[in-house]
Order: sequence, then C-alpha cells, then structure tokens
Amino acid sequence: MNTFHLTEDQQDCLQELINVAMGQASDQLARYLDTFVYLKVPSIESVNADELTKTLAEQQNTVAVVSQGFFGHEGIRGEALLIYQDEDSERIADLLGYEPDELSKDEQLIDISSILTTTFLNVFASQIDNQMSYNAPKLLPSVQKSISQHLQQMTFSWDMALKVNINYQVTDYSFNCNMILLIPETAMANIKAVIDRILEEF
Amino acid sequence: MSPTVLICDDSNMARKQVLRSLPESWRDNIQTATNGAEALKILRDSVIDILFLDLTMPGIDGVGVLQGMQKLKIEANVFVISADVQPEMQNKVLALGAKAFLRKPVKADVLTAQLEQHGLL
Repeated sequence: MNTFHLTEDQQDCLQELINVAMGQASDQLARYLDTFVYLKVPSIESVNADELTKTLAEQQNTVAVVSQGFFGHEGIRGEALLIYQDEDSERIADLLGYEPDELSKDEQLIDISSILTTTFLNVFASQIDNQMSYNAPKLLPSVQKSISQHLQQMTFSWDMALKVNINYQVTDYSFNCNMILLIPETAMANIKAVIDRILEEF
Repeated sequence: MSPTVLICDDSNMARKQVLRSLPESWRDNIQTATNGAEALKILRDSVIDILFLDLTMPGIDGVGVLQGMQKLKIEANVFVISADVQPEMQNKVLALGAKAFLRKPVKADVLTAQLEQHGLL
C-alpha cells in the first residue's frame, strides 16, 4: 500500500494535528500584523511530484514562492513551500503598510512565511514528540522556471507532497496562501507510525 | 445524578479526547455533534448541562452556536475547546457567555480542573 494512503482515522488525526498547528501559526501572524485573523478549516491532500511540478508551472499568476527546509528526529524532514498569488502579495504589502525605506516587499514576504512555517511546524512537531530545526527561508526568483528547477534540486528525493490549503482572512482584507509540505516517503512512514501510536491511546 | 453533556467538534479524535477526560459514570448522558447545526438541534431538543464546543468547524462554527444559543435563550455551561488561540477570539467567546476557553489539544487534568472550578465535578 502507498505510504501516503491514510485510513479515515489516520486522516482525522493528521487533520487535528494540523488544525492545532494552524491555530497557533495564525495567532503568531495576527500578532505580527496586529490584527485579527479569521480561521477556516484547512484542507489537506497529498499530491505526487509530477502533478505538483505541472500545477505550479501552470499557475501563471503565482508571484512568489518562499521555500524553507526543516529537519526533525526519526527521519522526519522536508521542505515547506508557501505560495502566494499576485493579488495576495499586494494585499500583504497593504496590510503591512509598507514604506519604501523600510523592509522591502520581498523581505516582508519572507518574514511572514517564516513565521507561518516555523510556528506551524514547531507546534506540529511538539504534538508528535519531535523537534524541528530549519534552514534559512528563501524567496525563489523569477517564478515559473525556478519552481520546477527548485523542486528538482532538492537534497532529498520525494515522491509525494502533503498540500495544506490555508485561507487567511484578515478583517477587511483576505489573502490566500498555500502551504505545501514536501515530505520524503520515509518521513511520511514515520509520521504515520506516530499517528498510529496516538490513535492507540484512544 | 450525572450531568447531561454535549461534545461538539468536527474531529473524531478531538471528541474522543474530551470523552476520555470525563468520569466513567457520565458516559450514558453524553451526546456528540460534528458541526454547529447538529449541536443547535440537540440543544433545542434536550436539556444540556455542559457543552464542550470547538470553534473552527465547517458550516455553523462555534461562535455561531454561542450566538444561536443567546437568540434561542438556551442556557448551558459552555467550555470552548479550540485551536484558535488568538486573545481576541478568547474574549469574544467569553463575552458570548462561555465559562472558559481551553486550548487544544486539551489535557484531562486541565479539563477536570475547569469542571471543578465551576462546581460541576
């Protein structure tokens, strides 16, 4: 059976771990933006490598991708991609009240992405008795071409990715951002083992 | 006599987390709901002493349930158990009549302490 196939119970457990992680990531975002963030139930799905590369390359209006690697114990590792559309990146700049002589828009996008990624993964990891460390986040340049190159140049091989669709509504504004976690099969096998352990306790 | 309890959460695991934190002797009087609409229906149709309520749910969410209860003048001891830990949200649900806000994932001792504090255990 495919490592990425989850039973109904495993899916429910993973969803709840992600909800908790998402809640705290949003709280951090709200503090950073000094506003309130409306939360929706994030949707999760797994996608294979070919499909993902193709979808990302076809998204003409994708303006920015921030990529950050993460490492935990027990072989849990991966790469988190935060993907923003054109209009969303503009809204973020509005929200932050960007002044030309302060941080550049790119730097702000990297900041926000890193807050979301590291808070999300720290909380996720603590729930599965793990601990993460991170690479520096990087903004991929000239999107269309660089995404597929970036995906091919990962230091680990991955066949599937866990896609968490997050929608943040920030009072009058709303912006969407997709968080995609690229996870190698071995890491997914570990996560599943931990999920099974959690489920056994019930 | 054990109190009547309703646990409302879209996650099966989260419902079980609450369920196993409650005294064995309460088991026969515990109902569950997987969304806000279901919870409101149960609250209308039966007397519920204690409601454990999630916030982020599809359809009618936890805030919607609290607002619905106010409108329908349904009273219960509501404990919100949520992953949405923003202070503004905590204040909002307390203003809407919730007894307490508990962070997910909720631990058995935290939940028990809250029930004791409000004289429900």
